[in-house]
Parts: sequence; structure tokens; C-alpha cells
Amino acid sequence: MNKIKRIIAIGCLSVMAFGCKEDFLELAPISNSNANNFYKTREDFDLASNAAYATLYTVYAPESSVSYTEQLSDNATLYNVAGIQADRWAFKDYSLRTSNVEVYRFWQENYRALFSINIVLDKIETASVDEAYKEQVKAQMRFLRGLYYFNMVQLWGDLPLVTKPLSAEESYKVLRSPVADVYKLITEDLEYAAEKLPLASAITAPGKASKGAAQTLLGKVYLTQKNKTAAAQILQEVVNSKQYELLPSYASLWVVTNKNTKESIFEIQYKGGAGNPYSNYWTAFAPTENFVLTQFGGGMNQVTDDLYNEYEPGDPRRDASISTGYTNKVGTFIPIKFPIKWMDRTAQVVGGRELSNNNFMVLRYADVLLMLAEATGDANFLNQVRTRAGLPAFGAAGYPTDKYPTLELAIEHERRVELALEFHRWFDLKRTDRALPVLTAKGKAVTPQKLLIPIPEIVRQQNPAIAQNEGY
Amino acid sequence: MKNKLLRLTTTLFFFTLLSVDFAFAQGRAISGKVTSKEEGGALPGVSVLVKGTTNGTITNTDGNYQLNVPDNATLVFSFIGFTSQEVAVGNRTTVDVALLPDAKALSEVVVIGYGTQTKRAVTGSVASVGYDKFKDRSFSNVTQALAGELPGVNITQAQGAPGQSPIIRIRGISSITAGTNPLYVVDGLPMENFNLNNINPQDIESVEVLKDASSAAIYGSRGANGVVIITTKLGKVGKTSINASYEFGQQEVTRKIDLMDAQQFVNYYVDAHNNAWTASGPGRLASDPNSVRPTQFRIPEDFVTNPQQFGKGTDWQDVMYRTAPSHNTQLSVSGGTDKTQFLFSGAYLNQEAVLDRNYYKRLSLRTNIKQTISEKIAIGVNLAFTGIYDRTDGTQGKSDVVSLGVQSDPIFPVYNELGNLGFKDPNSTWYRFATYTDLQLWHPYSLTREIAKQNKSFNTMGTAYLEYNIIKDLKFRTSINGNLYNTRYNAYQNKDMKFGYSSALAARGDVNNSFMLNWLTENTLTYDRHFGSHGVTALVGYTAQKQRDEYSSVTAGNFPNDLVQTLNAGTVNGGTSLASEWSMLSYLARVNYNFLDRYFLTGTIRRDGSSRFGTNTKWGYFPSVSAGWLVSDENFLKNVTLINNLKLRASYGVAGNNQIPNYGPIGLLGNQNYVYGNNLANGLNVTNIANQDLKWEKTTQLNFGVDVGLLSNRLNLTAEVYSSTTNDLLLFVPVPDLTGFSTQLTNIGKMRNRGFEFGLNSRNLVGNFNWTTDFNLSVNRNKVLQLGPGNAPIVYTDFVVTVKTEVGQPLSNYYGYVFDGVYKNQAEIDASPHDPTTTPGDPIVRDVNGDGKITEADRTTIGNYQPNFTSGLTNSFSYKGVELSFMLQGSFGGEIANQLIRYNGIWNGGRNAYAEVANYWKSESEPGDGKHFKPTVAPKGLQEKFSSYWVEDGSFVRIKNVRVSYALPSNLLTRLPVKSARIFLNAENVHLFSKYLNYDPENTTYPATTYSPTATSASGIPSGTMLGVDYGSYPVPRIVTLGARFEF
Repeated sequence: MNKIKRIIAIGCLSVMAFGCKEDFLELAPISNSNANNFYKTREDFDLASNAAYATLYTVYAPESSVSYTEQLSDNATLYNVAGIQADRWAFKDYSLRTSNVEVYRFWQENYRALFSINIVLDKIETASVDEAYKEQVKAQMRFLRGLYYFNMVQLWGDLPLVTKPLSAEESYKVLRSPVADVYKLITEDLEYAAEKLPLASAITAPGKASKGAAQTLLGKVYLTQKNKTAAAQILQEVVNSKQYELLPSYASLWVVTNKNTKESIFEIQYKGGAGNPYSNYWTAFAPTENFVLTQFGGGMNQVTDDLYNEYEPGDPRRDASISTGYTNKVGTFIPIKFPIKWMDRTAQVVGGRELSNNNFMVLRYADVLLMLAEATGDANFLNQVRTRAGLPAFGAAGYPTDKYPTLELAIEHERRVELALEFHRWFDLKRTDRALPVLTAKGKAVTPQKLLIPIPEIVRQQNPAIAQNEGY
Repeated sequence: MKNKLLRLTTTLFFFTLLSVDFAFAQGRAISGKVTSKEEGGALPGVSVLVKGTTNGTITNTDGNYQLNVPDNATLVFSFIGFTSQEVAVGNRTTVDVALLPDAKALSEVVVIGYGTQTKRAVTGSVASVGYDKFKDRSFSNVTQALAGELPGVNITQAQGAPGQSPIIRIRGISSITAGTNPLYVVDGLPMENFNLNNINPQDIESVEVLKDASSAAIYGSRGANGVVIITTKLGKVGKTSINASYEFGQQEVTRKIDLMDAQQFVNYYVDAHNNAWTASGPGRLASDPNSVRPTQFRIPEDFVTNPQQFGKGTDWQDVMYRTAPSHNTQLSVSGGTDKTQFLFSGAYLNQEAVLDRNYYKRLSLRTNIKQTISEKIAIGVNLAFTGIYDRTDGTQGKSDVVSLGVQSDPIFPVYNELGNLGFKDPNSTWYRFATYTDLQLWHPYSLTREIAKQNKSFNTMGTAYLEYNIIKDLKFRTSINGNLYNTRYNAYQNKDMKFGYSSALAARGDVNNSFMLNWLTENTLTYDRHFGSHGVTALVGYTAQKQRDEYSSVTAGNFPNDLVQTLNAGTVNGGTSLASEWSMLSYLARVNYNFLDRYFLTGTIRRDGSSRFGTNTKWGYFPSVSAGWLVSDENFLKNVTLINNLKLRASYGVAGNNQIPNYGPIGLLGNQNYVYGNNLANGLNVTNIANQDLKWEKTTQLNFGVDVGLLSNRLNLTAEVYSSTTNDLLLFVPVPDLTGFSTQLTNIGKMRNRGFEFGLNSRNLVGNFNWTTDFNLSVNRNKVLQLGPGNAPIVYTDFVVTVKTEVGQPLSNYYGYVFDGVYKNQAEIDASPHDPTTTPGDPIVRDVNGDGKITEADRTTIGNYQPNFTSGLTNSFSYKGVELSFMLQGSFGGEIANQLIRYNGIWNGGRNAYAEVANYWKSESEPGDGKHFKPTVAPKGLQEKFSSYWVEDGSFVRIKNVRVSYALPSNLLTRLPVKSARIFLNAENVHLFSKYLNYDPENTTYPATTYSPTATSASGIPSGTMLGVDYGSYPVPRIVTLGARFEF
């Protein structure tokens, strides 16, 4: 009897001592926030929309899809670079395969960015935050979504349209929508943003999308859809808003500390130095292994002679945009042309790389003026840009009319040199249906089908119902 | 006062001495000889002890002993492998004894988790290795000494640096995404991903490996990868024994990679540039001068005008490797009485590494004590400390010293004329080569001498337990285990690294710290009783375990000079800290039943709850049953003299795998900051898809085994077959990127491992001259049965190498193009399907699908790492005190993906190449060896793609170990205070037979998948799926050790 009591006593003792409560197993993450209790308050949505803005860092990175369009065009090329070369050379050579790892990365980056936007749009609908705030956040997010889809539709054509966070199961049902439907969404998003967003002067946090940004982008979208009337109208509103003007000097656009100037319409914000979201256009565009300009050069978007020679004699924009080489450590001059718009020689160096401070302008006023010239056929808009560069006006004496006899060609030329290496050229050529003749003449193996990049192989392995672009 | 004390002490001391003498003087001398009853030979080393005392001795090489004994003494004779015998001395002065060999050692005790069993009663699949098997081997991690010894346990040394743990795979690979390391149980403390280097092998009594799911089921959700149980030593009742040993070792890299010398490299460089230049446009000639060529096609003048100046150049392997010594000193004291048993041990290992400036130093201290307080209560404490200081470079592959050294160009000298390391030195004449961005040098010294580094790690492990015999046959045991592990890493990189690195980097300092505390409490009740012919052992238990990990790091730059290297001298420009926890509650039960000690039945069940799993699936059950039948004890076999042992075993069980990130089911937020104007703005974004249904992988395994002892146990065989299926595979299932994510952690998928294991032990010759052969063979077939939605294959690509896992195939097939040699001329190209860019000298890419075009659809399975079978063979000979043993180990039928082909097999930015690459196609009249295609700096086709050109035969045979030892005859030792003395010579990795281009086919730079405790999610590639992929590993050196061991 005693023994049994003892057994029971010990049994009880051990269970009491160590009979942990069930919450022994409920451990919350210590070094990460838990998504379950997020997306509730205004502070949460501030944090979430900041993260959505941060997707600009990948979508517009120097190795991003839009940056590679410079190599698809006649502006830039790639020499020896680190890493897997063939997949990176495939852009300049028009030899893209469906297994190209860069193309898949673009796909991932863009849809990941869209998730960060869509989750804000989705969660804020049911959140108890005030309506005015809700509207502002939605307008910000829809601007970004419109911008991203506009890039994507120009790269891939038909696209799976994702407008809310999807579960894995749901995602298998989303197939490619026709280009027209994509443009419908882009237009709706940007029209909403243009209506709700404040004027640039009312923006307190520089870098947030403004009404003018949405209108400018919408003008570009209309122009791409060949709707010149609508484009002219909305771009004229940007001009009339008196929010923007050309800076007197082209070179001052590229001074590291000149950020968010009057010419800037939508600008990606960076901050140099350790621990900050620094920019790396300069290191990425510097020649590989130069050892004097940067610690490590990416060699991305090295400038073609063709672009260099496009500049008219005396055009100050050439030397503000392109360097013809550098002098190495022993004083030998290495001739190689590379972009210097985002040069930052004062950047803090940490861990063997420059943490640069430059911003990146996605939209600027010169672009608006040149688009207006395109939409209206009025050379005055073009000439404002030429005047700033100190060059003779189109139609005036000294204009190289023999080379650019029509206004269309004059705009094409002007956009190329004014916006050189700012990720516009290839989209411009496609918009004006000039890509095939221009690029073929320069020896590119381009075909009508190659003006779209392939749907990555892995996407179609996962969901064979997603169609491939013709020619791949 | 002081004097008095001294006198007292002295008196006491003498008294003690006298009393010892007195004790001896009282007895009488007896002597005798101990022999083996079966073979009649003398048995040296038999322990002879007066029962109930610590008075005893050991027989000499002739089996003779002498001992003073009191009246009416009883002697206990014991020896490993023989049944102990007690003999009453009576009036005799000579006591000769013939010992019976232990009947197949069936009474040997095997540790099985939460208890022990005799070998006779084991019904699952358990491999047991005692200290004697590895005592002379020179390894810091005990499992390294078991490689090739245990069927079904594949132990491979991925990296040869000292202190690197091997990869252990028990019965194949049962998971794609979750971790695949076995569970380690050290003196009862189950640890995931434990570093066994923290346990001094000399302190280990035995290592048990639970191979089948039924044995491992008692470890529930952590048993599916098998369990390695480590039990440390405790003193034996009897005389205190003092053991001391010293080993001196030499390590050497004996198998170097055959690389191009400077002359071959210059030709290779020139041809790669000319091939690309002439292909870049019409009318371009190889003879064109640099002045007409764009930068990337230019060739240094020195290469054209005076290549002889480089001579043979530098083989960077000769620079980075050296013959390295090691010293290992051990001292242990153990012993005990009926009431107290103890072991104190200390050891110091000081090992230089073959890699320049690398080393490994370890101090290990241990005390194990068990005290019986009363008839009912015993308590014990095991406490061990290990401190390790090391510097280990070169194990990370790709951009680590070893790989970089192999890629570096041979044309450069070890030191330039200024005494600096490289051609990037602006003041050196070598700087003329810096203009060429495709000449490469990562000088080994720039990483080993211009960077100061040290890891320090401290491990303290303790166990305290209490055993209480409540009533006869019923025992309660409670224990608390703790493991505290701290590491600290310091590094300082000199400015410019003396120009030996690819770029002149700024000075940089790093400090990392980590902390881990794991505690466990266990309470078990064991009931053990015989009822007539029925025997029952029952166990119930309850355990709770928790672990917390913390990590922090700080980085600084902007150091004014290299004089002060602590971070205070620079500017801190980075840092972080992280913490993470997991916890687990478990209930367990086991019943062992036997009838007539002949029929055995075991059932176990464990219920585990874990913080790592979803709220809907916190708890899981892991049951098992097994049965054994000792047929040889049946009457119908009693008279069959050929067979003296025959046992059949069958088992079925379920075990789990929980090795996923700590917060796997939870949707986590990660920082994604933006900046507005000049103001940094915090941002938070979802980093993974939540899954509250996440649960463990479950492996069910069926095992059949047979143990046979023949010819008086001269020949022992064990054979086992098993089939295991893993369900609910934890997969980072690729999901469409439209979700915003590439993968989601889900329980989906099924994988099977089937295999056969065979072990043979044969005592070929017995008597004065003994010859024993051990042989084992393992076959495992792995097959994926089901994957995620639509069974979509899982494809991982890391630095070109692609592995594909698909249903119906083994895990991780290599997937790429097939290269069928080199096109000799245009006619050959025209005659076969080819990529449009193809020119003579390019690889022949096979049109696998036969559609007449070379497209991505022509990629196919081009190999798999998993071998068809592995095997080990050990022969041991002994004659008197001399023992000789050698061991062969082999693996047959697997393939390796040599990722260094990317650098050393194909032109890549001017890196050096394998010597055999020099046989590349040069022209139609000089077609080379038909395997190596022409180099070009601007490849247009599929040259750089993953192909059969990268895949090599992984089969090998290795002379793994050769050992000679000599026990000094006891008559030499009688004058010395030494009981026994042995000297031994041990050689590891003596020779490798393999065709592999790199160092060793066991190498891989992708270790088994593990999740760092502070990892929040793991959407990347689980490294364990890159099976057998080698991106430039640290060679496994040959180690020759000379040692001596003394017992006092």
C-alpha cells in the first residue's frame, strides 16, 4: 500500500514539476514581426506602403528589366562581366532563350513588387482607418501598380493580371490577359491616382507620387496606345499646373546632391552610407575591374559608339552623360565608354563597395515636353529642350536637318540624347514602331517577335496553361 | 603550529604507506595462466580481481598472472568477448582458468534510448560500436572513425579541414527540404545538428546508431533521419586506472589537382582571345596587333614576345598547403567502488592544418560521477567542458581560399619584386598586367596572412540524474540536462590585402557572437520483471526541452592603419542581433516482452508537441512494433553444431523529421525600408506565406533482419532489408511567382528509400596468430513518389549546376545537355543538328529529343550522386602484442557534378584551368583529345551551360586506414609503475583510387541541409539537394600518427 502511495506521489511530483502548460509550445518570433497582427492601424499601413515604395529599388535597379532595355536598344552593350555571361549577353544579341535566368529574375521582381502593392490595397479596404487616408494610400499604390504593369506589358505583352494577393491555388487560375486588358487596368489605376493624388507642391515626403507624376505617366500610356489627343490633353495639364520647369543647366541634373528638383516629376529616393538604402547605379555602370573609379565595377550598360556619335557637335549633354575612359593606377588611359549620369565619387565605401547617394529620375519634365511635341506635332516643346542644351532650334539655321528631316525623326533623336541611358530608348522605339528599322540597320538580329521577351520557362513548367510568346 | 601540522601530515602519510604494505604482507602469492577454452591459446590482458576489493592485476602476453590474495579469496576473471568467471582460490597456489567465449556476445549491452537492452533482445536495427573500435584513430569527431564501418550508415568527409564534421546519411536521404542530419543523443540529451567535435572521442564508451524507424520512433518527431547515441565512459568497479597517451601526427595533401603551368596557360589565354577576335567579324586575324583590337580581345605583349620568362610559373597549391603537425595529449583517471564510480579526463589537441595559417586547438575536460546513496537511491553527474580555438578557411568553395587558389593564374610569382603579393601592386613592374581585366590572382596569402581570423567556441554540457528504486523492479529516473554553447569570431582584413586579391579592398573588422542554451528535463519509470518464462520491461516517460539561440555581429571599416585591429580603431558601419527559440514536450512509452528469452516483442509510442509546427498540428504520434525470434535456441536447432546463433527480426515504425526553420508556419514580416528626401522611413513587408497546417514529415519503415553465427561463432553474418516511405514531405513547394513568392512551405510529397545491408565478421585464424575480416555492403535505392501540385518537378540551379527532382526518379538528378565531344570541322557540323552559333572546335551537343534542333528541350538526366552501393573491408591481424589492421572503403556507381568546371574547365575570365584542358581543339589538323572544346572569351553557344562535360564518375576505392600497434610485454614493465603500454602507428586516408579531377569524390561544398536557429525562412535552395556538387573543396589530407598509450 505504502509503495503504491509512493509511486503515485512521485508520478504527481514529476508532472507538477514539469507538467508545463500548453503555452510552453506557443513561441512567438523574437526577431521578426508576425504578419497575423499587422495591417490594422494607420502606422501599419505607413510601414506597409513604405515597403511597397521600396520595391522601386529592385524594379528600377541597374540590373533590372528596364535597365536591360538599354542593351536591347542601340544605346548600350556589355563586355566581359562577372557571372554567367551568356544569359546577360543575350539581350544585346537578341538571343534570349526561355531559360534565361535574368528574364526569370525580372518576372519574379515585378510580381513580388506587385504583391507588396496589392496586399496594401487589399488589406486597407477593410481596415478601420479614415477614408481620406485610405484614398491617399490607394492612390499611391495604384500609381506604382500602373507604372509596373506599364513596364511589364511593354516587355512581355499579354500578362497574368494580379490585382490582389493570391493563394497558390488561385494563382494557377490566372492566365495571360490580352494587352488591351492590361492597358485597361493601367489606365484605371493611373486615372484614379491622377484624380486623388496631390500636386507636387503639396507633397511633404519627397519621393511620393504626385498628381503630376500620375498624369505624366498616363500621357505616356496614351501615347503608347496611339491616342495622341488624350496624351496631349493630359500632358498639357502637367504643363499648366506650373509645378515643373527645366533646370537651366543639363549638367546640374546629375549633381549627386541635387535631388527632387523642379524638373523632377517622379524620382526614386536613395540615401548614401552604411545602413541606408543607398544607390548602386554608379558602381554597376562603372567598367569592370577599373580599380580607380570604383572598388568593383559592374560593367553594366557600357555605352555604344553609336550613342556617343548621336550627339551633335557641341552638345553639352554628351560629356555630362558619357565618359570615354579612365586612367588606371599606373597612368595608362583605358578607352571604354560608360555612363556617368549617376557618378558619385564621394560615396562612403563599406565592405568593398561604394554606397552612393544619387537618386534616379523615372519621369522628368524634359520627357513631358518631348512627349507633348510627339503628341501635338508642335516643335516648340522640342525646342525648349534644345534651347536648354544651347543648341539651335528645330527648323532654325544650324539644325542638322539633313540627318533629321522630319519632326518625328527630330523628336526621336532628341529623346535619345536628352534621356540617354535613363531606360527610355527601347520603349520609345517600340512606341513609334521604329524599333525594327532602326535596330536592324545597326546589325541587331531583331524580328517583330523578338520585340517581346520570353515568358520564363519555369513559369510554364509550373503552369503549362500559360502561353509562350511567339518566336520562343 | 605549522610544524605540528607538518608532523601530523607526515605521520599520516607514512601510516597510509604502511597500511598498504601491511595489506599486501598479509596475503599469499598465487599465480596462474588464463587460456581460451575454445582455442586453447593464452589470453593476455585478462583482468584478474579479488572479488569485493580493488586488488587485482592483468595477465601478461603469455596469459600468466601473479597476485597476492587474502585467505578465502574469490577471483574474478574478466575479458572482453569472454564470459566472466569467478573462482574460489581455496588452498591453491596456482589457479589456471580457461575462459569461455561469450556466446556471440549476446549478453553485450546496447544503448537504445531511454534504456539499454542485451544484444539478444534487440529487435530493431541498431549498430553498436565500442571504444576499442576507434581508440587508435586520430579524429576529433568520433563519427569520422566510423566511416565505412557500419552498413547503412554513409559517413562522408565533405571538407578536409580539421574540426569539420562529416555528413552522415542513415539509410539514404529521406527529405528534400527539411534537414537530413541524424539526431544526436549525448548522455541522454537529444540535440539537432550537434557538433560532435565537442565530445572528445577518448571519453566515449560506445556509439549506437538507431537505423530503422522502429528503433528511432522512441525519439518521435526527430528520429526519421536516424539517431546517433553517444554514451560517455564511467569508471569500472575495481582498481583505479590512470591512462595517459600522446600522439604526434603529420598531415599532408597527397593528391593535388593537376593544373596548367604558366606555358600552357599563356597558350590557352592567347588562343581564347584570338578565337574570339577572329570570330567577331570578317577579316580579323589572330595576328592582328592589340592596337586594332577592342580591350576585351587584347593580349599582353609579354605573352607574345617572351612567354618563356614565366617558366613553369607557380602552382598555387604548393603555396597554400604545407605538411602540418598535430599533437594530442590525453590523461584520464577512472575507477570506482560498489558505491562510487568516476571518470576524470582531460585532453588537449593542437593541430595545425595543411592550409596556410590554419589550425585547430581543443581542450576538453570531463568528470562523470555516479554515487549510490542507499540501496534505493543513486545519483550522478556528468559534466564536460570543451574549448576550441580555430582558424578554418577554404571550406566554403567558390570564393574561399582553396577554390580561389586553384583558379589563380600560374604566371605570377609568390612575391613580386617589392615583396608584396600580387600584380595589382601599383608600384610593381607586374602592374603592367593590371590593364588586362581577364588575368586573375587571388593570392592564398592575401586571405590567410593579410586577414587575421579566429573562432573561439566553448561548450559546456551537463547531466544530473537521480535513480530511485521505488520497489523491487520499479525504477524512477529523473534528469536535467543542459548544454551551453558560445562562439566568438574575430576577423581583421588588412587594407589592400597587400595587392594579392582581385581588388584592393579597404580594411575591415568583424566580430560575431553566438549563444545557445538548450535544456531538457526527463522523467521515466521503468518496470523490469520476470514472471516464470515471461519477461517484461516497461517504460513510461515525460520530457520537456527548450532551446534559445542568440546571434550578434558588428562590422567596422575606415581604419586609419592596420596597427590596431579591434573595432574601436575604425568606424562601426554595420551590425545586427537576432534571437530565436524552440520548445518541445513529449510523452513516451515502451514495452519489451519476451518469452523464454527466445521470443521478443517490443512496442513503443511517443507523442511529441513542438513549437515549430502550426497551431492546427502541434501534436503528433509516433508508434512502432518489432519482434525477434532466437531460432537457434529452439530444440530443433540445438543439435545443429554448424549454427550456434540464428535470430530473425522484423520491425515497423513511424518516425518524424522536424528540421525546419523555427517559425516555419508563421507569416513573418521583414524590413524593407525606403527613404523620402533625406528621411529614412521604415517599411515592413510579408516575407513568407503562412501555413498553420504545417507538421512533421513522417517516415514509416519496415525492416527485416537476420543474424547468423556459424562454426562456433567464427563466422557472423547480419543481413537486413528495409523499405521506408516518407510522407508529408516538408517542401518549399515552388508556387507561381504571381503569389509574390517563389515557394511555400507545405507538407506534400512522398519519397521512398529501399535498401539492403550486409555485414560479415569472420575470425579466419585464431590462436597465437589471429586474423579477422570485417566486411560490409550497403545498397540504397531512393525514389520520389509524389511532389507538389501537378507533381511539378523541383529544379534548383546554383551557379550553373542544375539538379532536378521528379516523380519516379531519385532525388536530385543532374539535369543538362549531353556533350558528345568536339566538332572537328565544318563538315561534321553540317552533318548533325547543331546550335546556329556552332563553329569547328565547339562542343557537339546531343539532339536528345531528336527534333533536329538543339533547344532547351534537349536537356536530360546526366547523372546522380547516389551510389549503387558502398562497401567497407577491414582485415586485422594480431600476433602476441602486435596488431595490424587495414581498411578499404569504396563507393560505386554515383556521379559528381564538378562545379569548378565553371572556372577551371571552361574559359572563364582568365582563370587557370585543369592541365587536361590544354588538349583542347586547336585546328582541324590539331583536334586535341576530342573532349575539350576550343576556348573563347566570347562564347556564343552552349559551352558554358551545365552539361555532361561537368559530370564525373564518383566511384572510388580508398585505403582508409592502416594501423599497427604493439603492446609491450608485461615482463618489461614489471620494474615500472606501468600496467600496460602500447605504441601505435595509424595512417588515415592512405590512398585514393579515383579519376576525379578535384581532390576527393567525397567532397561537396553543399553540406546537408540545416536551418540556422536564427533563420526565419528558407526560400533559397536547400543545400542538401545539391547532392555531390563540388565547388572547390578543402582536400582531405593523409594523416599519419604515432602514439603511445600507458596505463598506470
